[in-house]
Amino acid sequence: MVKYITKRLVLMILTIFIIASLTFFLMHAIPGSPFNEERGTNETVQANLEEHYHLDEPLLVQYFIYMKSVVTFDFGPSIKQPTETVNDLLGRGFPISAELGIISIVVAVISGIILGVFAALRHNGIIDYMAMAFAVLGISIPNFVLATLLIQKFAVDWDVLPAATWSSPMHMILPTIALATGPMAIIARLTRSSMIETLTQDYIKTAHAKGLKPWKIVIKHALKNALMPVVTIMGTLLAGVLTGTFVIEKIFAIPGMGKYFVESINQRDYPVIMGTTVFYSAFLIGMLFLVDIAYGLLDPRIKLHKEGGE
Amino acid sequence: MKKVLSILLASMLALVLAACTANESAGNEENDSSNDNSDGGSEEKVLYMNNGVEPTSMNPPIGFDANSWNILNNVMEGLTRLGKDDTPQKATAENWEKSEDGTVYTFKIRDNAKWSNGDDVTAEDFEYAWKNLVDPETASPAAFLAYFIEGAEAYNKGEGSRDDVMVEAVSEKELKVTLTSPTGFFINLTANPAFFPVNKEVAENNPEWYAEADTFVGNGPFKVTEWKHDSEMMMAKNENYWDKETVNLDKVHWAMVNDPNTEYQMYKSGDLDSSAIPSDMADQLLDSEEAVIEDQAGTYFYRFNVNKEPFQNKKIRKAFALAINQKEIVDYVTKNKEEAAYGFVSPGFTSPSGEDFREHNGKMVEPDPEKAKQLLEEGMKEEGYDELPAVTLNYNTSESHKAIAETMQQMYKKNLGVDIELANAEWNVFLQNQKDLKHQLSRSSFLADYADPVNFLESFVTDSTMNRTGWSNEEYDNLIEKAKNETNDEKRWEYMYEAEKVLFEEMPIFPIHYYNQVVLQKPDVKDVVRHPVGFLELKWADKE
Repeated sequence: MVKYITKRLVLMILTIFIIASLTFFLMHAIPGSPFNEERGTNETVQANLEEHYHLDEPLLVQYFIYMKSVVTFDFGPSIKQPTETVNDLLGRGFPISAELGIISIVVAVISGIILGVFAALRHNGIIDYMAMAFAVLGISIPNFVLATLLIQKFAVDWDVLPAATWSSPMHMILPTIALATGPMAIIARLTRSSMIETLTQDYIKTAHAKGLKPWKIVIKHALKNALMPVVTIMGTLLAGVLTGTFVIEKIFAIPGMGKYFVESINQRDYPVIMGTTVFYSAFLIGMLFLVDIAYGLLDPRIKLHKEGGE
Repeated sequence: MKKVLSILLASMLALVLAACTANESAGNEENDSSNDNSDGGSEEKVLYMNNGVEPTSMNPPIGFDANSWNILNNVMEGLTRLGKDDTPQKATAENWEKSEDGTVYTFKIRDNAKWSNGDDVTAEDFEYAWKNLVDPETASPAAFLAYFIEGAEAYNKGEGSRDDVMVEAVSEKELKVTLTSPTGFFINLTANPAFFPVNKEVAENNPEWYAEADTFVGNGPFKVTEWKHDSEMMMAKNENYWDKETVNLDKVHWAMVNDPNTEYQMYKSGDLDSSAIPSDMADQLLDSEEAVIEDQAGTYFYRFNVNKEPFQNKKIRKAFALAINQKEIVDYVTKNKEEAAYGFVSPGFTSPSGEDFREHNGKMVEPDPEKAKQLLEEGMKEEGYDELPAVTLNYNTSESHKAIAETMQQMYKKNLGVDIELANAEWNVFLQNQKDLKHQLSRSSFLADYADPVNFLESFVTDSTMNRTGWSNEEYDNLIEKAKNETNDEKRWEYMYEAEKVLFEEMPIFPIHYYNQVVLQKPDVKDVVRHPVGFLELKWADKE
């Protein structure tokens, strides 16, 4: 186990290194510069600025300067907002994005499982059809369409929830629904099919024969096995929710990280591009790693390392 | 495993429950506070505005764009402030004198002009701020505006010294400014946020004074009371403002909502008092009573690159200009009530004799497919072309630019029988290529920084960073030079009329439409002034 984790950690660091390097060279490959303005400053000033941010140095030198900042996780001040460091921006935006992301995942998992279980228990019944119709809608409607629709209905037409911004828990409801519906639908469908399969297994029949209460069979015996496929796709869903927050944040004017991620590229704000990319990839890779570990813990049949058999 | 799972489930459940209860209690608070708002409406007037994004910078020389000006222009004040009629009025300066030759201005600063922290606004604060504006270390994008001040250009280009910039605090309340030439519109410039004063003492103690609400010190009708970065900002009436009796609003709340649909929905649900119009709804909304349409000094136009075939030929350039029908573009494509442009200087600039620049010079280019075709043939003959070299039209990626570009493509096909290609690129890439003269024909825009036609026309002098056409014309350069140095206003205008004629005789550019500002505004909001040069004025605004 320890060996497996060490191996994964080394791979993670290597992945982040490759991502950071690729990002660096790609962002310098696109034309334009942070000081490219419609009404520019004069050449002397441009030159001073480039010198200040080491943009006049050969690309390799710049690469090492940036790599140093990646290792120490100190990206320095943003070029466009010099009064703030990249770490300030991350520190401000990430907790908000994380809050939105975590609440959405939790809502998606719980409501998805509940929906899936009920659909499976009433297999081919009215509830099943309704739940699955709902799930299909959830999967097919893109979150940005749903978001705009939600605002229109709940904020404009019925005036029961605030339209946008992020200042109270009330403001969290619509973005959470918009972001959670897609993953919820996927989880519901997955839970349903795997639940239906599990319910036909012999050990469930045995449990029934033993005279156990039906709800106990479902929760204690069927669900825990039926949930394995859900855990499997958690990694993918997590990535989806993380990138989904970018769009949702913009629509709901939520001051999260998505803005810095997108804006920094438009503005060629190199330190912010590097900071957000490295931070995001590290976070995502870390989460995927945790999901894998959890998967191994939940299902002893899965061997995380080959040496296990020896 | 059983344990792990149950712990996992239990914690999830707890989280959701916590979130639910939090929601409920907050819901009540929300209702309470909204009740307060409606009850207290008669006592406290709060205007809800949207700035789209965080202001680029609240440091006057750096925040050189509409996002920054919306805020800055209301929390600070220059020597002058543009009035409701868009002309400069006395503001921090109580009056001023001009020397005989028109190059030396002496401003007298109001005795009761105070900073929001209670300090006096002094001439030294202006001297400090203006010298910072042109300090190469500041790297202000607005520095070129101050090149009219003696010594400023040299200092900004690293050739002169700070002491040689001829802005001088003669006494505590007297500011003397020496100009390189008798610039007729200098007073107009002093209303621009780049020329706002900076509290020297505050700035020297804390170089980042402008970064937070607590440290920000202004001298305008409002003061910054709360600033949650990238999220919202609150302004309140400034009790230290010299003209505070005029200010009607108690507070202004600024949201930073960057999605036009969301902004509109917030407006509909009553969270905002003003909103831009989402482009796909313009048809329905432009005729509503809540739509406010104001002029904006600026022009949407196209640049030819006179160094690239086939546009080295004047007749071919003219053919491409005359083949475009501007009226059809604004009526059927942009549909935003812009005025079709047939000249470069937008309407709204009145000459000393009371005539509008645009009316005097009239239409410099008019759609004429017949003539366009003829000019194209002549031009091709001159160049010895049997077939016109391939032409690519470039624009920066955006739905609205694309729609115009596609329409132009059809017009060239129909009116000239020429097939052109379209190419788009992301803004920063596009701009770099345009500056590097890599395009043949490219989308462009100009927004005025100050209210004088010379601001438009100086763009196309030989070395201007706004030129980007490769076009250079000695006669034109001379006329602009004269227009900048002439003391006699009548003559100055003659030079500018003449310059625009030369520009269109040579046709390195051609116009599409003049810009306008279109917003929705709640009927109870009064006297929000939107100047054609792009700043928003809340000093007189009121909410009934």
